Amino acid sequence: MKGMHGIIFSYEKRNDLRELGEIRSASSIPFGGRYRAVDFSLSNLVNAGVTDVGVVLHGHYQSLLDHLGTGKDWDLSRKRGGLKILPPFAYKQKWGETAFRGKMEALAGVRSYLDTIRQDYVVLLEGDLVVNLPLAEIFETHIQSGADITVVCGNDSFATENGTYFELDHDGWVTDVLYHLHNPRGYRGLEAYIISTQLLKDLVDECFVHDQFSWRRDVLQARKDQLRLHAYVWNGFAAQIRSVQEYYDRSMQLLNPDIRAELFCQERPIRAKGADKSSAYIGPNGACVNSLVADGSYIEGKVENSILFPGVRVEEGAVIRNCVLFKETVIRRNAELAYIIADKNVEVLPDRTLMGHSSYPIVLAKGSVV
Amino acid sequence: MKKECIAMLLAGGQGSRLYVLTGEMAKPAVAFGGKYRIIDFPLSNCTNSGIDTVGVLTQYRPLELNSYIGSGVPWDLDNSTGGVHILPPYMGSKGGTWYKGTANAIYQNMGFIDLYDPDYVVVLSGDHIYKMDYSRMVERHKAAGAACTISVMEVPWEEASRFGIMSVDENDLITEFAEKPKEPKSNLASMGIYVFSWQTLRKYLTEDEADPNSENDFGKNVIPAMLGNGEVMAAYRFSGYWKDVGTLESLWDANMDMLSPESGLDLLDESWPIYARSVNAPPAFLGARSRVCHSAFNRGSNIEGVVENSVLSPQVSIGEGARVSYSVLLPGVVVEPGAVVEYAILGENCRIGRNCRVGGTPENTAPAPWGLTVLAPGCVLEEGQTVAPGIMLDRDGKEVSRK
Repeated sequence: MKGMHGIIFSYEKRNDLRELGEIRSASSIPFGGRYRAVDFSLSNLVNAGVTDVGVVLHGHYQSLLDHLGTGKDWDLSRKRGGLKILPPFAYKQKWGETAFRGKMEALAGVRSYLDTIRQDYVVLLEGDLVVNLPLAEIFETHIQSGADITVVCGNDSFATENGTYFELDHDGWVTDVLYHLHNPRGYRGLEAYIISTQLLKDLVDECFVHDQFSWRRDVLQARKDQLRLHAYVWNGFAAQIRSVQEYYDRSMQLLNPDIRAELFCQERPIRAKGADKSSAYIGPNGACVNSLVADGSYIEGKVENSILFPGVRVEEGAVIRNCVLFKETVIRRNAELAYIIADKNVEVLPDRTLMGHSSYPIVLAKGSVV
Repeated sequence: MKKECIAMLLAGGQGSRLYVLTGEMAKPAVAFGGKYRIIDFPLSNCTNSGIDTVGVLTQYRPLELNSYIGSGVPWDLDNSTGGVHILPPYMGSKGGTWYKGTANAIYQNMGFIDLYDPDYVVVLSGDHIYKMDYSRMVERHKAAGAACTISVMEVPWEEASRFGIMSVDENDLITEFAEKPKEPKSNLASMGIYVFSWQTLRKYLTEDEADPNSENDFGKNVIPAMLGNGEVMAAYRFSGYWKDVGTLESLWDANMDMLSPESGLDLLDESWPIYARSVNAPPAFLGARSRVCHSAFNRGSNIEGVVENSVLSPQVSIGEGARVSYSVLLPGVVVEPGAVVEYAILGENCRIGRNCRVGGTPENTAPAPWGLTVLAPGCVLEEGQTVAPGIMLDRDGKEVSRK
């Protein structure tokens, strides 16, 4: 049938997420005050009318499984199709020994799943991509261009950890595929691709028999002259969450109303798992400016330029500046924090002072008491 | 499939004393406490009490309520054996009628209740804000061997004449019931929450229906009939926060109570969560020049102005230099820059133009009579308009008097 099928890759890759990435894959990193990174990929797909989505997993996925549930928060809990969780059921290596070496190996690991895909096209996405793409429009472009593979690029050469970059000609055809660049150039690939289901299966089989495992090296780079690779350039906000610094900088960008308007545009809402919290509250002596505050936060101290996830508590006299505080973090009386990323359930005791810097935000690991 | 206990939630009333707020929706669908609707309280109480089958009796303007309840997912009431069911009046081969009264509404749905063959039926109303474990009330009902158990709470003696008042014996069994008595003999007020033994209630409902003079109402007809026949009627004492939000003032009061946990209405307590269907929207943003204090707010909101002692629902926007105090803003309200809103309830999607003045404080209004200012959902005020304290406007901005 016509239309797109979604595949989201959510396995460990090289990244610099420190404590944030130790307990979860990048796709389940909390972002933007109430989302997980994977919510963006899922919503992008659902908003483009995609009804069937497979999530390819390997390692540290308990947090992601918890988050996804049956997929009902994205309307993906369906009788036919819907959300399919894909652990590596056909993986030949010793279980748990190494992560997938690349997307082609990951796809070979779920090869029989690929045969069940009902749609003629597949969208490949990374779970760590935070963007609001008009995928329906990108799909139209894919059909019209006659490309074998459409690669979605950001309109910048921003140095993302382990990024892929594309050089394009005037008509948007890919002339070169680059990675491991010291000084990134070309267009930053968002690791979002559209390809026909048949071609994808053929490539997976071809690569498998040649022990080729990398999508960007063995498919995009090695076959760039046989395959017609066309780029769709996305001019808006697009973050790849691959390092603490990137996480922090990208989070802080959300305090800009234009970026929020674009990322959370009403025509393509980003859906998240519901959290049953009451309203956020600021007390008589509390103050909070230039900040995003999620439901159930309780603020009696001072908060500035920060992002607060649901159920964060800031007690009287505490001062929070330029911080990202995950769910249920508690900042006790008169504590002072700046440039801190506090993971879930962190408690900062009274009168403590913790200072990072915008160029080195400090991460407090989940559940730690400082 | 047999269930020991199911709940029937009376949600058909218009709630005429909420005036313009219920012009287009039934009272239980009215927004409360920022992120909730009134009906979230009984529905969440059911699910927290282990009741997984709830019939919601609707009649007046059910669209908003029906779409809000949907399949019942937010309250975990989307079960395959039970769950939440919307029960409107219906036609049969011999015709049909609207729900004539609370008892008739249950009578018309005896078929629904019989499907589950329950031992006990909890009858609830959709206009109260409270947290209550119905399973403990059912325990009390069983222990007393009662035909009917009525939840009661002590009210101040001077207010007792506004309620249905129960007199009880030393075992807390009800001896007398008086609706709004001039000289109350007790200060135990009925909270409008009943547990019935189903087969007994079934008999009384059938008899009540056969009586052409009956108003088919629980409080007026069925309870007095049961009491008159010497059925065992138990009182279940409740202490804690409970408020009937049937009037504009009580709705406003209850919203303000939510801001102060001392009031007893603690919505942060996670052992008894109140669930709600919520919109998809990013967290609230508080701008660089905003000032928010002693106020609640919700996702999708954008606050650039001053907000004090107020409750803001989701997707509310407060412009720079605007000031909102002692007010309740329902979902989607826009207050443009420079406007001032005091002591007001603003219905869904109201738009207050630049530099408007809505409502006023009691101090500044004296000696003129003061009151809450209330705007109907969808009401739009053009730039610079003033709406005096105590005024109520409909959707088209026309003044509505409180009868």
